[in-house]
Amino acid sequence: MAYSEKVLDHYENPRNVGSMDKNDPSVATGMVGAPACGDVMKLQLKISDDGIIEDAKFKTYGCGSAIASSSLVTEWVKGKSIEEAGEIKNTAIAEELALPPVKIHCSILAEDAIKAAIEDYKSKQSK
Amino acid sequence: MNYFQLFNIEVSFDVDLQQLSSNYQTLQKAVHPDKFAHASEQEQRIAVQKSAHINDAYQTLKNPLQRAQYILVQRGVEMPNEQHSFQDTSFLMRQMELREMLEDVRHSGDVDAALLEVQSVLSTEYIELSQIMRTQISENNAASNSAACDNLRKLKFYQKLNVEVDRLEDSLLDD
Repeated sequence: MAYSEKVLDHYENPRNVGSMDKNDPSVATGMVGAPACGDVMKLQLKISDDGIIEDAKFKTYGCGSAIASSSLVTEWVKGKSIEEAGEIKNTAIAEELALPPVKIHCSILAEDAIKAAIEDYKSKQSK
Repeated sequence: MNYFQLFNIEVSFDVDLQQLSSNYQTLQKAVHPDKFAHASEQEQRIAVQKSAHINDAYQTLKNPLQRAQYILVQRGVEMPNEQHSFQDTSFLMRQMELREMLEDVRHSGDVDAALLEVQSVLSTEYIELSQIMRTQISENNAASNSAACDNLRKLKFYQKLNVEVDRLEDSLLDD
């Protein structure tokens, strides 16, 4: 199966790979995994006091589509409010990367990673 | 007839693989195409279908994770969709660490020792988790079945890691 050019671009030059301190109260961490393929994805967002995502980092172990989906998401969420980021749909990710149907779950994983990170942020805020 | 009945063995996570294999061969002999060389087209077709069914059953029961899944599905335990993402943070953090450990093997001073270390860590964690699941499957109540299902999903991450380890081992041999 051939990867689209956009997937290859993100796969070969992934944006924003890295880690942040997960104990930092302004850092939200979303960890998700896909048992079917064993992919593991970590998305971290640095969120300002007024709820704007200032920076995003990811680390993904998985196929090219999973890496591309998470790389793309880090580009998309930067500068957005957490509410706006929470509205990013997997279909938009899949469309942007031209993912074939068998790889749609990679985009779902990336959407779930954003949601998990936002959940983590909210639970940190309520403490 | 379920797969266990087909092989005339008890429904259990513990399967005697030798017995399974010998029962498999006996069953396959009975439907071997040579036996149906002079049979009607319909009988030949049925024999081929039976042979495929026996093969599916054998492959399912031979593999521990597939066997566990089969038992749970037979009990009517609702398996979460495999595509659904898994969100047990501490488990996934550990999976990340294990993958990082595997990634570092290649750059280690003593590659063989580092690879052995990873294999031993993975095998210890896999066995531990798989023993817990085995107990949960044998308890067979709603709570234990659902917990077994959760652990089965976790074990699949280890299964994937083991594939990666094998791949790394092969690539190291080629170097």
